[in-house]
Amino acid sequence: MMHSDIKSRPVYQALAPDLAGSRHLLVVEGETLVAGRLDELAGLFAPVQATLHTWLAGAATPVAGLGRLWQLESAADVVDALACASRGYGVGDRLYVQGTEPFLWSVATAAAVVGFGEKQLRLHHAGSLRRRVWCTHCHGMTEGVTTSIVACGGCGRHLLVRDHFSRRLGAFMGVMVDAEAPGEVPAIEEVFA
Amino acid sequence: MTIAFKPDETFRGDYTYRNSDAAVLRFPFPFPEDRYMYSVNIEPHVRSGPSDVFLRPFDVDEHYIAECRDKAITLERDPGRCQVLPHMMLAQWDTLELLMESLSADYPALFSLVKEGDDFGSRWTWTNRPLGIEQRFIFGDPATLPCEPFEYITRQAQGDFAICDQRDNNLYMDAGMVTSQADWSLEFDVGMSFMEWHGPVPLAHQTGVFERALKYLLMLRLGQPVRRLNWTMTINPRLDTSPESFPEWGPDRASVTPDNAGRKVHLRVELQTLWRLPRSNAILFPIRCYLASLEDLARVPKWGARLHRVLSTLPPELVEYKGLTRYLPAALEWLARHDDGRELPVGTESGITTL
Repeated sequence: MMHSDIKSRPVYQALAPDLAGSRHLLVVEGETLVAGRLDELAGLFAPVQATLHTWLAGAATPVAGLGRLWQLESAADVVDALACASRGYGVGDRLYVQGTEPFLWSVATAAAVVGFGEKQLRLHHAGSLRRRVWCTHCHGMTEGVTTSIVACGGCGRHLLVRDHFSRRLGAFMGVMVDAEAPGEVPAIEEVFA
Repeated sequence: MTIAFKPDETFRGDYTYRNSDAAVLRFPFPFPEDRYMYSVNIEPHVRSGPSDVFLRPFDVDEHYIAECRDKAITLERDPGRCQVLPHMMLAQWDTLELLMESLSADYPALFSLVKEGDDFGSRWTWTNRPLGIEQRFIFGDPATLPCEPFEYITRQAQGDFAICDQRDNNLYMDAGMVTSQADWSLEFDVGMSFMEWHGPVPLAHQTGVFERALKYLLMLRLGQPVRRLNWTMTINPRLDTSPESFPEWGPDRASVTPDNAGRKVHLRVELQTLWRLPRSNAILFPIRCYLASLEDLARVPKWGARLHRVLSTLPPELVEYKGLTRYLPAALEWLARHDDGRELPVGTESGITTL
């Protein structure tokens, strides 16, 4: 489910420091850390350690070599921290994010607001494939979706979860699955575990 | 040229929308051959072509007043159908100027524009006789209009409008007035790049259609607009076939039978034009929608027969993507009665002058 014929589906990258940058911010969603991953990241980012800040969101046991380390509770705290950064961000800043898709796009959209351009940003998907789903009808968001069809948290309609993705909303499109024949809802499958 | 407007016809509820004989004959039928497949079918938007709708850059027809009213109803229910990202103000004024100048030059009996100057800060007076509007304002000063300039002028025009900002060798859909769309969401797509908003289209990506189209559009020049036709099918003459309102119109697809298909099933043709804008360097993308029922189309023998052949050979991916699956068999059964199998000349012209 990480590859799709639909071209709006983002393609994610492995993380590595961009040596052209002068300041580096690594943001990691704790729940996506498998054993040894933080050590691996510390190794990868060793060349820029002097100018590296690492923000760990959620439960994670820190390791050495991640530059200046800051532990936060959640994606919402990361978004707030980005928005409040008093020094501002410039062309020399680089942002690297590891997380689930909803986490990646929460951070990416907040980063865009404070001036990070597309080329200053690297996103690495890890952990669950669960999706944030945007309801085309009521425009409500349903979080943590793992099934092919989901009841919208806003209006209750059964939404078919499509691969069409909006970076601005950080969400996949959900469209009423039984609009043509109300009540005809196909079998619901677990597909984004 | 006089246009006999039909101010009271409706595009929802009792669906009283009808085409006059003249409107059927000028319908921009999109199929020159018996089979259809995606291509980069872009050509210069010159003042001529196989249908009268090409005679003026922005076509105004008998449905103008009723379409503007339907647009106002949709906007009242869902103001998010008009969205403009903050950096697009210059492109908003570009759009207003282009539409006001074109409409007043091409339809002097309907519209007029009196300008004390061409630059920002000049006093302009806009008159729209069919809608009973007279507006004095200062070009470049949004506070002198009842709403922002893009919304102001596109509320007075048939069809949808998107504005694409050009940067990083790409186009971004950074503004839109979208009330008569073929099932795409401005709220979802606003801000997307060219490839992203075309993401769901099947088959065409693989053949490189979008790469070539994007390259072509990035080179689009001021004063040299281009056009293409696109199409789908709609049940009932409904303009607002947005995904937002899909729960309202989705069930109509299950209501089609071989007997009622002629009245219910409509060919929906979009005349899409693309215009380089002078100050912002953005591209204006008007999407003008024309609707004709199968009954209308079958009155032109060539069109009825050709539509039958195109629809019966349509690739299954396109049937699915265009949402035809549920009612295509009924529509084909109806159309088959109007196809005697004779060879049809290449081209989209009706081949007749009266019905």
